[in-house]
Amino acid sequence: MKKPLLITYIFLLICSIVSAQDFPYGTVNQQEMDMKSYSKDTSAHAVVLQEYGKTRIGLVTDENIRVIFEYHVKIKIFNNKGFDYGTVQIPIYHSNDDADTYESLEEITGVTYFKDDNGTTQKVELEKQNIFPVNETKHWANYKFAMPGIRNGCIIEYKYRLISPYFETLHPWVFQALIPKVYSEYEVHIPAYWRYNVSLKGNLKLTKNTAAVERGCFSINSGIASADCSSLVYGISDIPAFVSEDYITSSKNYLSAINFEESDFTSPYSRAKIKITKDWKDVDYILKNDLYFGDQLKKKGLFKDRIVPLVTGKSDDLSKAQAIYSWIQQLFKWNGQNGIVTSYSISKVLETHKGSAADINLSLVTALNAAGLNASAVLLSTRDNGTVSSLYPVINDFNYIIARVDIGDKNYLLDATDPLLPFGMLPFRCLNDKGRVFSLDKPSYWMDINPPQKQKSTHTLDLTLQEDGKLKGTLVNYFFGYDAYKKREAIKKFNTIDEYTEDLNSQFSRIKILKSEITNMDSLDKPLEEKYELEINILEKINGERLSFNPFFWYKIDTNPFKLVERSYPVDLGMTYDERFIITINLPSQYIVETPPQIFAIAMPDNGGKFMTNYEPGGNSFTFSHVIQFAKPVYNSNEYPYLKELYNKIIQSEKVEMVFKKK
Amino acid sequence: MKSILIAFSLIISYTIAIAQQNYDASLIPKELLPYASAVLRDEEQNIVVEDFDNILVHFKTVVTILNKNGDHMAHINLEHDKSTIIKYVKGAIYNQFGKQTGKFSEGDFEDASAWDGFSLFTDIRIKHYFPSVTEYPYTIVYEYELHLKQSLALPQWEPVLNFGIAVEKSSFTLSCKRNFNVRYRETNIPEKVSMMSDSRNSKIYTWSISNLKAVKDEPFSPYDKNYLPNVEIVPEKFSYYGFEGSFANWKELGKWMNDKLIVNRQELPAETVEHIKELTNDISDPKLKAKKIYEFMQAKTHYVSIQVGIGGIQPFLAADVNKQNYGDCKALVNYTQALLKAINIDSYYCVVESGRKYKVSLLKDFASIEQGDHIILCLPFKNDTTWADCTSQTIPFGYLGSFTDDRNVLACTPDGGKLMHTPKYTHKDNLESRKANFIINEAGELSGIMTTTFKGTDYEDRDELINEPVKEQYKMLQKIYPINNLDILNLEVKQDKSFDPVTTENIKLHARDYASLTDGKYYFMLNPVNRKTDVPKQVFNRLNDVYINRGYTKEDEVTFTVPANYHLDKTPLNDIIDKPFAKFTSTMELKGNQLIYKRKLQLIDGTYSKDTYQDFVDFFQEVVDADSYTVVLVKNN
Repeated sequence: MKKPLLITYIFLLICSIVSAQDFPYGTVNQQEMDMKSYSKDTSAHAVVLQEYGKTRIGLVTDENIRVIFEYHVKIKIFNNKGFDYGTVQIPIYHSNDDADTYESLEEITGVTYFKDDNGTTQKVELEKQNIFPVNETKHWANYKFAMPGIRNGCIIEYKYRLISPYFETLHPWVFQALIPKVYSEYEVHIPAYWRYNVSLKGNLKLTKNTAAVERGCFSINSGIASADCSSLVYGISDIPAFVSEDYITSSKNYLSAINFEESDFTSPYSRAKIKITKDWKDVDYILKNDLYFGDQLKKKGLFKDRIVPLVTGKSDDLSKAQAIYSWIQQLFKWNGQNGIVTSYSISKVLETHKGSAADINLSLVTALNAAGLNASAVLLSTRDNGTVSSLYPVINDFNYIIARVDIGDKNYLLDATDPLLPFGMLPFRCLNDKGRVFSLDKPSYWMDINPPQKQKSTHTLDLTLQEDGKLKGTLVNYFFGYDAYKKREAIKKFNTIDEYTEDLNSQFSRIKILKSEITNMDSLDKPLEEKYELEINILEKINGERLSFNPFFWYKIDTNPFKLVERSYPVDLGMTYDERFIITINLPSQYIVETPPQIFAIAMPDNGGKFMTNYEPGGNSFTFSHVIQFAKPVYNSNEYPYLKELYNKIIQSEKVEMVFKKK
Repeated sequence: MKSILIAFSLIISYTIAIAQQNYDASLIPKELLPYASAVLRDEEQNIVVEDFDNILVHFKTVVTILNKNGDHMAHINLEHDKSTIIKYVKGAIYNQFGKQTGKFSEGDFEDASAWDGFSLFTDIRIKHYFPSVTEYPYTIVYEYELHLKQSLALPQWEPVLNFGIAVEKSSFTLSCKRNFNVRYRETNIPEKVSMMSDSRNSKIYTWSISNLKAVKDEPFSPYDKNYLPNVEIVPEKFSYYGFEGSFANWKELGKWMNDKLIVNRQELPAETVEHIKELTNDISDPKLKAKKIYEFMQAKTHYVSIQVGIGGIQPFLAADVNKQNYGDCKALVNYTQALLKAINIDSYYCVVESGRKYKVSLLKDFASIEQGDHIILCLPFKNDTTWADCTSQTIPFGYLGSFTDDRNVLACTPDGGKLMHTPKYTHKDNLESRKANFIINEAGELSGIMTTTFKGTDYEDRDELINEPVKEQYKMLQKIYPINNLDILNLEVKQDKSFDPVTTENIKLHARDYASLTDGKYYFMLNPVNRKTDVPKQVFNRLNDVYINRGYTKEDEVTFTVPANYHLDKTPLNDIIDKPFAKFTSTMELKGNQLIYKRKLQLIDGTYSKDTYQDFVDFFQEVVDADSYTVVLVKNN
């Protein structure tokens, strides 16, 4: 999905005059006021008429160099479903204590234009006292305001300036939104002291893309150091609204946007050149020496004594690793935050027993290494954070750390944030494309994140038809991989297993659980096993001495989760799926099977998935089984129709009922 | 005054000293463990009134967390704002044996802006802290003191806040001067208040409760405040952000609100008044005039919640709403009132407790500011009291819908407050009625037209869909109607916004593979679009009555034209169930190649004894069974 746009290096450039410019503030034309709908998307509740952003690096006071981002937008609102675009929140990284290392927001102005009853255009200004700065948390503030005078057909316009001391990434520009845009443009001025990697995401093509040199645009110390700037302009016109689909990982992967990541920097004062993220070698160096990353990995000493009791007596590396993993898993509580660097030193994590994914999993890596195992940290991006760029290092694409341990020729990916995860299984949020493996002594490298575990279960019913028309017998369920995880999670919602079974019993009034047994609840590496003795009252008496019965009753699929005719984006399930049912029914001697179930097999191309049934009649009994498999974690949009049709066929065949009749 | 305080603080410290015994988890009485994820071992809330604008709240609790599900009880969230100051907060953690393993103080708390889920801005903030303990059970002990600068709304006592929490001991005290009069309301408290006065001109009210088992979440239970213990205290005189007042009943509270919070905030610019007059000049019927004004307000404004100023109970000036075009419920009602006043139509600003899950009434005999959370408008036309919610751009005039219907509200009038009751929509009013004509062809394809009308509170059922792009509407309908491979060929949704509003939906549809053809038999679902699939779960040893908040009627009549020369393989469905709380009929008949299916489900709102519950579950099981009926057609010989 990601394309290289251009890797910008200054000084190499064509000298042309860049024609970018902000549109004038405070004016609307009659045509904009008269618009009743947007002709290119008549269903839009609102449309961005013009959107302009500009980032430059410059002096805000005599000696303070800052990144200055200006934003300006004009939105036409057609009806009340578009009113939300008139309620604005601008988040900034902020603290009351230390203004120098935080962002600030200034010059928020806004105006709403509307037609009065005579059809004359009127305007109403956003008033200062109606802008609310809110310190959301210690480091985040939000500027909030509602545009005044909003009504159907109005146009709102606002702008602001954000001053930031952060040069690592320039303000990203997201061209696409949930409403269409007539035109969106971003202008960036970068003095020669800085270099950035630029990447474009999404499917839309730039309709404007110019680069030029701007002579002597930057100087400090009254001209002692000065530089030219590269002046870059990116624009797209007629941007369609983004329409999301179910089962996608993150809309971030598909929204057209442009990102800037600093690659290197030469100090205008000292002329010293500082590499930021030119290539992975530099990133490796930086991370290894980072106080909150590499330095933490070096703290093996913290764990030396603590892990002695865990590994003593264990001869193989796997059981040592397992012991350390489960110790960390039980010891630390995840605070729900992600992160690629620790929040504080891991000695503090050990003290407070809580932390982010980075805190917990870097502790895990260090503890594993302390035991002499070969462990490394893997940086990745969670599903909702989008995929990572592989063209060049974009550190800001990552938001999570897991641990990897290599034992013999096998490697295991570990995440200790969740005490219910077995050794070697990642939580669903981490199943996203690929990760970058870091260790203190080797260069970093990519690895694919393909979970070895499935979402798998088998269900075996052995039932006997009673005189009273009820079925009595046993059900044995085995849950593997992600199914076992989900089941354990569901059971843990209850205070005791008895309360869980009581609840289960209360859910079905046609099924009575007479006895139950759950095993391997805490043996996370083993499949979870449930055994039930049941009495089921579902047979339907039909005319004469006949009984009808749906052999899929235990888990019948009757609606297709896939409704769209076609899709634009892949269906990303994250993992493969395998479910098997085997049902054996013993009939009293006076009964015979009048209508047996259908034998059926359908498969997707390339073994992508299948549905199969099998029927084996016996003397006074029969066995019916079926399998549903989705063999790929991700289906691309051209495989989608097959996936949808597989479900359709499953539903079709599960409608069909069996009939028993008296001889 | 000082000496009284010392006396009180001695009492408090004495009780704390007693409580500081042993936090060993094994000392929890065994009978409190079932269904509990946490146990309140000992909780005390003491309110000390020094003056109307000077109140101290001391809170101390000991909670044992038994497993991860009880962790939320160890989350400490303290709201504070201009009138609520946190004096201190501190605490400690103990392991299962009662040994202290850690402690915390105010420095460990984080301060964040409070977000109520809908406001753009409020000035309330939250200090929060969550200790991280991974070994269960553990015990958290913490205490804090709040300084309240107002006495309009005092903390209430609700010893059982959540399902799954058992209470070993909890107490609540209020200490005040003898001349500080309070009214209080006790609900589900086994032991009534104990009152103690001392010679120093002071009095102490005390409530306490012990050994309450954890409450299970039982579906179809009444509003929880009606069966859980709670105490609410209201001072007779109060001070609030510089306002002083007193009330003993709704009349006085409504009077105060009207006079102090509303009446002087309704000034409008002359040109707006002029405009309004012009707009309604040609209309003579006051109700139609009001409708015109309401629609003007709807088109001009929208809902934005900004809670600033005096604790969020005073509306913005009408002139500000006029200028900004937005406001919260208070501001929009106040504005609408101002517009109506300009053409001499009386209206009331009404306080209501909103919510769809329960219809919560203001209590007839106990007035307090905390019972309502929303403002609506009442127009007291002669013999035709009319109601309006001013926060929606689309709701019809005179229609409240399920958010504020059928409950007691406080109307603030110049003559004082009065309790009024909003209109009720009966199970007959809430009607979803459907007629469909479908053809199932030889290939199993379904096609045809379907018309559905929605009335009463069901009128709102298509609000989400209306005005959406056609493609989005089709997607939404594919999720609403459980027909696989559903293609919508044409859709029309109309809302008739008259005084008895109706939504009408016309759909032309097509779906392949509706019927499966196997071995010469057709199999298909008899109920194509309105299947009930969930049966309420059974509750063994139920404690609560069965409460049905809202009744409804659903009628479906579907005619399928099926391939000729087929007959039914199974006995036709013919279900008729008649219960006090619900009625259901579901019948089918094959005449030639016309299969006619009729279904009617009625649920009747009300409170029924807990013994009814199993009957209730069985009723829905039968409905679900009938709705999942599969038609089997066999070719005639």
